[in-house]
Amino acid sequence: MSKPKPKVAFFEFTDCEGCQLQVANLGASLLELAKVVDIVNFREIMSEAGEEYDVLVVEGSVASKHDEERLKKIASKAKVIVAMGACATIGGVNNLKNLKPLAEQKKAVYGSVDPVPDAIETKSIDEVVHVDYYVHGCPIYGPEFLKVMECVLLGKPYNVPQYPVCVECKQNENVCAYEKGQFCLGPVTKAGCNSWLPNYGSVCVGCRGLIDNPAADAQKDILQKYGLTVEGILDKFTLYCNGKKERAKYGKESQK
Amino acid sequence: MKYAIINRMDMGRWFDSLKDRGKIYGPKKKESAYVFRPIQEFEEMSLKYIPTILPPKKYYFPQKEFLLKFKINPFSTGKAIREFEEFILFGVHTCDIAGIQCMDVVFNEKPADPNYLNRKEKMTIIGLECMDYCDKYASCAAVGTHVYKGGYDIMLTDLGDEYAIHINSEKGDKLVTGKKYIREMNAKDKEKLNKAFEEKLKKFNNEFDGDMERIDKAFEKGFFSPVWKDLGARCVGCTNCTAVCPTCYCFDVVDEVSLNLNDGDRYRVWNYCQMDDFAKVSTGEDFRAGRDARQRHRYYRKFKYSVQKYNKYFCTGCGRCTRTCMAKISLVETINQLLSGKEAK
Ligand code: SF4
Ligand code: SF4
Ligand code: SF4
Ligand code: SF4
Repeated sequence: MSKPKPKVAFFEFTDCEGCQLQVANLGASLLELAKVVDIVNFREIMSEAGEEYDVLVVEGSVASKHDEERLKKIASKAKVIVAMGACATIGGVNNLKNLKPLAEQKKAVYGSVDPVPDAIETKSIDEVVHVDYYVHGCPIYGPEFLKVMECVLLGKPYNVPQYPVCVECKQNENVCAYEKGQFCLGPVTKAGCNSWLPNYGSVCVGCRGLIDNPAADAQKDILQKYGLTVEGILDKFTLYCNGKKERAKYGKESQK
Repeated sequence: MKYAIINRMDMGRWFDSLKDRGKIYGPKKKESAYVFRPIQEFEEMSLKYIPTILPPKKYYFPQKEFLLKFKINPFSTGKAIREFEEFILFGVHTCDIAGIQCMDVVFNEKPADPNYLNRKEKMTIIGLECMDYCDKYASCAAVGTHVYKGGYDIMLTDLGDEYAIHINSEKGDKLVTGKKYIREMNAKDKEKLNKAFEEKLKKFNNEFDGDMERIDKAFEKGFFSPVWKDLGARCVGCTNCTAVCPTCYCFDVVDEVSLNLNDGDRYRVWNYCQMDDFAKVSTGEDFRAGRDARQRHRYYRKFKYSVQKYNKYFCTGCGRCTRTCMAKISLVETINQLLSGKEAK
């Protein structure tokens, strides 16, 4: 096997680096991966200038003009682009910034000084460049990241599950949160994490984003039936499912 | 010996005697619910239980089942599972046994499914008769699965101090013969069993507002009933109703290649008609785009299509779909609304 190994570069934008940590935590599987690819940029290790790579893995969302320009430049050098983690795929928690006008948010955070004059509304990276592969989640689910990398290396598409987390949750035979009087976003959230949180008795918080055709109205009905206030419901949906793409999915529902 | 008697006190040691026949799975408590799990000691089991979250189906049609192994270069394929293991399902309710009978019909249809048949061959079923309703969600009397009608090796009926044993196969016979503490049933025992059965029947009544003949008719003319629109609006599309059903047998086939990019596995995973893209085809059309059409499909698959195809209802009345539905969509209510022919609420 003398074929050169594909070069994979990791770059990060506005985020917490938790997803890269998940990759670093893959242990033995990461070593396996390192056998078939060359990791040429893992943030601190190398400078981005002059590096060449085939696969670009982007973590974090775009939150400033500088981010936007930098992403475009980095992306132009890559053959394949992978969005890794909720910030990159759907905007993630950074979307909370978009709930109010930028000026207002800045004032609340920084007061009278403005250390980030070029800040813009949060964008998922596919609002700036074309994305070939999505690894959803906050943080990403390690085994899914590996699955996606296999697909990247084989040149075949990775299909993000279009069914909700409940599918995995039931197959894992968890007692449903609703039985315990808890409120779970599993029914409207894309699967692929093997129902990570419900497996540990917690509820799904929707970090992987809404399924493409969420029964958001029916879900709100249910939450209300279980005694949650409208405000509480919106909060639940807002943490991760506030990006432009996510919002559009609700619109679809209400028109029907 | 076709009927036998075992003292309640001896159940533990009988259970121990089964251990060398294979792994034993039985009902166990999990938080507020029950699940089938591997059982080491008789006392671990909760024999008084309502239907488990997942039916015992997971042991003969697993959620994720490896079908074959392959190599890309040089290309080769091989069996994923060389040897299937003997196992015993202990304490299976009659509704779930009816579920197994449904799967038998499906997977025996040509081309027969070798994985299913291999597992089935290694399976021993020890049933447990319900002497009263598990809970208010059951509809087993309507479809007649509250009484035993074959499909098991041994059936246990709780008679208080003792259990009646019905032996229904050679496999079952081997599990009880030669045990000093298990005796043949005498006339007095038989009378006791019959009496208990009569008492039981008094508790079970058709849960639907009409007999199955009327239900057949209702499904015949109910395709455009407003009932389905109503379900479609309330259903959140979680798929749980199909995930927990003992007679749902749809699966998807997936190939996964390992990181060396040469060795891979092909496996199948459960797949449900309640999934959004289940009936979507490659050209983009979706034959059941709405949740109303998908819910209707689920009901027709249980009460009409299977009757046309296999002459069998594919609802065992276990009530799992109703129990699991967070939108509180109830099978009994839906059928009754369909029967009433009236506008749904
Ligand atoms: S706990 Fe959440 S993800 Fe699991 S079945 Fe219930 S609603 Fe779905
Ligand atoms: S349709 Fe519902 S009640 Fe009928 S067998 Fe399936 S889960 Fe049980
Ligand atoms: S549905 Fe009927 S047969 Fe099944 S557990 Fe309940 S009472 Fe028993
Ligand atoms: S369990 Fe209820 S909400 Fe979920 S798919 Fe089935 S009918 Fe819809």
